[in-house]
Amino acid sequence: MKMNLKTELRKSWIIMIKEFRQIIRKKAFMIPMFMFPIIMIIFFGYGMGGTVKNADILIVNDDTGTASGSIIREIGSFIPRYGDPRMFSVTYTKDLSQNEAERKIDAGLYKAVLIIPSDYSERVAKNESVTLTLLTDSSDTTSSGLIINFMRQLFSGTTGSHVLLKIPDIYGKLQYIDFLTPAVIALTVFFGTIQTMGYAIAGERQDGTLVRIMMTPVSRGAIILGKTLHQLVLQLARAVVLILAAIVLFGVTMNGSWLLVALVLIIFTFGAVGLGMAISAVSEDMLSFQAISMLVAFPSMFATGVFYPLSSAPDWMRWIAYIVPLTYANDAMRTIMIKGQGLGSIAHDLIILIFFGIFYFALGVYLFRREA
Amino acid sequence: METIIEVRDLTKIFMARRVKITAVDHVSFEIYKGEIFGMIGPNGAGKSTIFAMLTTLVRPTGGSIKVAGLDVNRNAEKIREIIGVVPQQHSLYPDLTARENLELMGNLYDVPKKIMEERIKYYLGLVNLKTHADRLTGGFSGGMKQRLSVISAVIHDPEIIFWDEPTTGLDPQTRQAIWKLALKFNKEGKTLIFTTHYMDEADKLCNRVAIMNAGKLMALDNPDSLKKASNSTSLEEVFIHLTGEEIRD
Ligand SMILES: Nc1ncnc2c1ncn2[C@@H]1O[C@H](COP(=O)(O)OP(=O)(O)OP(=O)(O)O)[C@@H](O)[C@H]1O
Ligand SMILES: [Mg+2]
Repeated sequence: MKMNLKTELRKSWIIMIKEFRQIIRKKAFMIPMFMFPIIMIIFFGYGMGGTVKNADILIVNDDTGTASGSIIREIGSFIPRYGDPRMFSVTYTKDLSQNEAERKIDAGLYKAVLIIPSDYSERVAKNESVTLTLLTDSSDTTSSGLIINFMRQLFSGTTGSHVLLKIPDIYGKLQYIDFLTPAVIALTVFFGTIQTMGYAIAGERQDGTLVRIMMTPVSRGAIILGKTLHQLVLQLARAVVLILAAIVLFGVTMNGSWLLVALVLIIFTFGAVGLGMAISAVSEDMLSFQAISMLVAFPSMFATGVFYPLSSAPDWMRWIAYIVPLTYANDAMRTIMIKGQGLGSIAHDLIILIFFGIFYFALGVYLFRREA
Repeated sequence: METIIEVRDLTKIFMARRVKITAVDHVSFEIYKGEIFGMIGPNGAGKSTIFAMLTTLVRPTGGSIKVAGLDVNRNAEKIREIIGVVPQQHSLYPDLTARENLELMGNLYDVPKKIMEERIKYYLGLVNLKTHADRLTGGFSGGMKQRLSVISAVIHDPEIIFWDEPTTGLDPQTRQAIWKLALKFNKEGKTLIFTTHYMDEADKLCNRVAIMNAGKLMALDNPDSLKKASNSTSLEEVFIHLTGEEIRD
């Protein structure tokens, strides 16, 4: 480390340019790398987020009059598309508090509970506004999104009085694809970084070229920095392409700031680079690298709430999720992209990601140096 | 004669799956400035390990090494600037062209752009690779790769050159081309240290030859004196005499 900073940076730059040259020539690597997330969004987004069939709905009808009857009939017989089965399978009850209703949703008995107040008919008759409460299982974004949409349409069609729908704990019209996309981007960056890092270190060691550049007057630090810069640029470019593709192809919402997205991804990529480096250092060749990285990456794909909200995962899986950085990146990405929130709302995620980033990066650098 | 490399009591012990392997065992010698120094010895004798330590890649377990007066443990990066290394395994980037490989090395050694371009042109011509300059090296033959490796190690005009088995597996034409390069560098005053399994090559090129066996230095002298000392007519006889007849793993 007796070299000055300028030299270090120049050498890192040389390494970074070299990495880009190599990766751009790897068409068989680059094309799938960009296609993978798009395919994932298509298959999971449309495969899993389609229509809802026979969703169990509980209607708590406390109405003392008869005006609610028509709504109830309409819900019960709704058929979303020609030939499809009925959308809802409706159960009726009376005198159930909101708390009790929530517990039924928690237990997974119903996808939604609609509570009709006792003064419903009375108010409708007097042309006064009336508020209905709709509780949905927001952990199932597919169903809850469709149910909310449906109910909104139904009540906006009611003539005369204002029927207000109160929907606790829901962020508007959330569709599965909106829910999926931010996390797929984080996941893609995570997988992509680890993969390319493996190619850049384990692969280069297998080729004997790593030893070769270590014999030149380039510090280990400059090699690491060069490879890290390459990853940051590559992954950010990839994320931008993906978000644009998701907006154009699937009409995904991007409510938040691009800068914040970049910030989250930069911090997250740092950690992933470190992890990739650590895995490279402990694996003998590309094949064992692939095996180990699959072992690390695959569970994080399912345990971190990419495909479904963490709240619906079993306890033991949630515990795994807490120690996997992807969980926090997913949360931060969703908070920015869907809810359009600012720095304040993702601060806790960022702090944890920075902590993970430092930890994995330090571990990666340590293992990489020790090996040399 | 001026000493350029000084090796004292050098030892390297590897731990491989809880088994101690003494790859280099208390070896001492000097290499003089401007000489062609050969290192021969059966497989596993420790030649490449000594190279790795001399070129700052591997830390010695014991002993000391001074290269151009600099200690390998303390001045590794300074030493790397004045040495050029061709490792035993090919180590070119298969997905870069020959020219890009050379440019990468030149840049990492901070060779000024203009001088670098001139040298690249000159050396590519010298090893007959001019017409392949812009091909990816992944598609090169063994001989082409070796010729490129050899020149990629001298693009920064190093004072000391290390070649680990530069001619293994090459046809006679390529071997001769590499010998020519060796003599050319020698004429320019560079110090050249290389290993080989071809006794004729060592005999022909080297000012002095070190014979290694199982991590130990068995003999070190000029080829003629070595032959005289053991009453042999060829270096091969000396070699067998000093290192025995059984095959190593
Ligand atoms: N990284 C390593 N880890 C463990 N053992 C090693 C390592 N490198 C070399 N060795 C061992 O050290 C000994 C010397 O190996 P070295 O490669 O230096 O021999 P060599 O003289 O170059 O042989 P060859 O002529 O076959 O190239 C061998 O027994 C080898 O197995
Ligand atoms: Mg060897």
